[in-house]
Amino acid sequence: MDRSHGGQAGDAGGDGTQMTATVIEARAVEKSFGQTPALRGANLTAKRGEILAIMGPSGSGKSTLLHCLAGILTPDQGEIWFGSARLDTRSEAQRSELRREKFGFVFQFGQLVPELTAAENVALPLLLNGARRNAALTEARQWFGRLGLDGLEHRRSGELSGGQAQRVALARGLVAGPELLFADEPTGSLDSVSGEHVMNLLTSAARERGTTVILVTHEPRVAAYADREVVVRDGKVASLTGVAP
Amino acid sequence: MIRLGLRLTVNGGREAVVRLILLVVAVGLGVGLLLTAVAGINAVNYQNDRYAWLNTTASSGSAHDPLWWLLRGDRYDGQLIGRVDVAPTGADSPVPPGLAHLPGPGQYYASPAMIRLLHSAPANRLAGRYPGHLAGTIGNQALPGPNSLVIIVGHTAAQLAATPGAVRASAISTFAPSSCDGKDCAISQGIKASGIDLIFSVVALAMLFPVLIFIATATRLSAARREQRFAAMRLAGATPRQVSLIAGVESTAAAVLGVALGFALFLLVRVPIASIPFTGTPFFPGDLTLSLPDVLIVALGVPLAAALAARFALRRVHISPLGVSRRVTPKPPSAWRILPVLAGLAELGFFVVHGRPRSTPGQIQAFLPGFLLVMVGLVVAGPWLTMAGARLMVRLTGRPGTLIAARRLADNPRAGFRAVSGLVLALFVTTVAVVLITTQNTKGSDPAYGPGTGSILVDQFADPSSSGSGRALVPSATLLAQLGGIDGVQGVMTVRSDGSRRLPASMFGNGGYLGMGVPAGLVSCAELGRFPELGRCPAGAAVVVFPAFPLWGADVSHLTWPAANVPDDRLASLPAFSVHAGTNGSLAAIEQARTLLETTYPNAASPATLGEQQTESNGRDAQYQQLADVVILASLAIAGCTLAASIAAGLADRKRPFSMLRLAGTPLTVLRRVVALESAVPLLVSAAVSIGIGFAASAMYATMQLERPMVAPDVVYYLITAGGILISLGIIAATMPLLNRITGPEVARNE
Repeated sequence: MDRSHGGQAGDAGGDGTQMTATVIEARAVEKSFGQTPALRGANLTAKRGEILAIMGPSGSGKSTLLHCLAGILTPDQGEIWFGSARLDTRSEAQRSELRREKFGFVFQFGQLVPELTAAENVALPLLLNGARRNAALTEARQWFGRLGLDGLEHRRSGELSGGQAQRVALARGLVAGPELLFADEPTGSLDSVSGEHVMNLLTSAARERGTTVILVTHEPRVAAYADREVVVRDGKVASLTGVAP
Repeated sequence: MIRLGLRLTVNGGREAVVRLILLVVAVGLGVGLLLTAVAGINAVNYQNDRYAWLNTTASSGSAHDPLWWLLRGDRYDGQLIGRVDVAPTGADSPVPPGLAHLPGPGQYYASPAMIRLLHSAPANRLAGRYPGHLAGTIGNQALPGPNSLVIIVGHTAAQLAATPGAVRASAISTFAPSSCDGKDCAISQGIKASGIDLIFSVVALAMLFPVLIFIATATRLSAARREQRFAAMRLAGATPRQVSLIAGVESTAAAVLGVALGFALFLLVRVPIASIPFTGTPFFPGDLTLSLPDVLIVALGVPLAAALAARFALRRVHISPLGVSRRVTPKPPSAWRILPVLAGLAELGFFVVHGRPRSTPGQIQAFLPGFLLVMVGLVVAGPWLTMAGARLMVRLTGRPGTLIAARRLADNPRAGFRAVSGLVLALFVTTVAVVLITTQNTKGSDPAYGPGTGSILVDQFADPSSSGSGRALVPSATLLAQLGGIDGVQGVMTVRSDGSRRLPASMFGNGGYLGMGVPAGLVSCAELGRFPELGRCPAGAAVVVFPAFPLWGADVSHLTWPAANVPDDRLASLPAFSVHAGTNGSLAAIEQARTLLETTYPNAASPATLGEQQTESNGRDAQYQQLADVVILASLAIAGCTLAASIAAGLADRKRPFSMLRLAGTPLTVLRRVVALESAVPLLVSAAVSIGIGFAASAMYATMQLERPMVAPDVVYYLITAGGILISLGIIAATMPLLNRITGPEVARNE
């Protein structure tokens, strides 16, 4: 696997020792939609500071696995552990609170609130956590320079290009300092140059802050930014690179 | 292509079906309301036409056998009875509608409701007034409504010719009250042309406008999805004309179903609506009918309008095989929009300062543009006010829910205001109507003789302020004794005529109203002593000067009348303007006294208590107030439906970002706050603004035209307005489960 895009597997956290503690774990997770099984005993572990890519063909269950890990869906069987706490048995309200405070999300498209400016979109997680408006906007604006978005603070989502909108979404996913960032096809709607730009920013920002990233993609070029890749096939997880799941 | 359009309409997935149902409901409500309004106006006209025969007056024609005719307004227990005394002079005398032939002497015909009343009331309280026996029933064609109390009493020509007020009529009138503006009509019942116009305007403006907005809002539901589908069809090779045809088929299908629903709704509500006395008298259900042109115009016009509207809506977007783009980006509304409403208020204010024009046409020319400017101005200024308020909220708020809601309102204030613009007009029109009616009622209902006068029955034989209104006569001592002997009658007072006496207007503190003073007669202090509500005598006086007729707008209970030097025996020999019978207020006492007076001294004016005269005077205004209450409730409910549809459309537009926010941990309460603020804030703010401006315009009009300060409406108005707003808020709250459902995790997965 090519790690030349800035992947530098094993560099996370500087010396790699931080990548020992398990942040999140799926144990024998099963999930069906009606009569259609999506996951059939999937196991997965992500370490602190790790960038983990989940690959697989369409319909293999990779997004379902990500949604189970993030507490968006609850598994029919099996367990999800976040640190030392079990996640899947918590109530929807508790899982929502956890997602708001500990997790960040970047999706393929359509995640920005169209009425809000780019800066307000980035500040939204801080406002939801009770930050004061001015403080939240000040914090949000710092990300614009870092992500090459200077001067776009007052634009609406409809006035941004696809790559710019994804960078704004990335800033929103990271602004509250989450322990875990879930990214579901974050470059799926972008051209290759914009996609590379977004992935470079995503991985460097995550490494800089020690944020664990779980990345769902079907593009090997995007997966190459990860420290480790796993593949989901027929609802089960198999290791491709790095430490076995 | 038409078949494909129909298939997409009814079989285009759940969203398409929901959209179709909402459109059908919206069009159905609109058509139902429109049909009810049209049928209502037809019913008012039919009802008016049935009053026409009562307008029969002395005719100058040279008919062979004229009819002796005397119309009187009789009363029983607060209900008005139309009494017509007739006597033919020959075989060719005209016959009123509803009768096969005229009643002979000693016979009378009565309406069904009157027959029931005659059977239920003791004879000495009612039937005793009508000489003879019941000979038949008056047909519906002579009755304004099913509960109309009408009686036609037969006499000999010689008898009726000797009765004061009787006239010779050569033909029965076909002159409906709707034609009475500016002309002399015999009766004050029915609705004049201006009244029908008012009803039509109120219904059209306050109810149909919100319904049209509801239809327009419903068409926006899932518009984006629909337009994307059209783009996909263009990619597959469909021509713009074919896309336009499919859009037209979809809209027309919904309109046809909506029209069918509307007719069904109309047929369902027809009988209950007929029983509501909007005009003071319920309608016969058969009067609430539609003419063939009415039916054709609605049945064909609404689907045609829907097809044209669909074509027009598509012209605003450019649908290409590569997607959909808006042709025009709406500009933010500018501040000049506030000018018309300010100009309207300034115009009304100008006449407050400088006084109103003297002539009636001048007054209409002065006030009408002012009110119209305010109404148009409210709709024109609405988007700008919405934008200004939303921008202020954006600046001030630190809460994410408020921020999203305020940004949305500030981005598209026209859409935000559109949902409540019908409500704004409805509230303005009804507030003005109710406030002015209340003020007018208060002006008219000032106690004529102070409190307690509802139990004083007055038989006014003659009114010296009006020529030709009866003649003064000397009441017999027997009558006065019989009157005083009725159980419950506590005193009898006779106002005697003695030359042309007058009381100075300054006595009543209302010089402008009473002008040159008040025509007066004489009363005995012994009799006046039993009527403390009517003032008192100076110490030692035996006879005082007293108004010849009841004074509207003057409380006389505190007045001391000037003494008159007239001996008692001379007083007793003088003819009387009126006889007052003071009762204990019981039905038995009032109606027995009335029956006695009517049978002893039949004349054009029937005895009435001061309370009854007052109630009848205010009756029409009370009917308009009732109509206004119905309009408020209906328009608020429709505005609530519009809001619900616009909420659903707004949620559909933002399904994905909202569901993304939710799965990123945003509490549902934050999203609920967004939805609630986007819809409830314009509702409440616009309600407050339109009610406030309605009060301001009414206050200026009351000062100018009614020459008195505005009087706030009673608690019913506030209860109905608050109730309607609560219903609207309830409808908004009912959309919250939709928010929960369409922002669930599966949306983020599948969209």
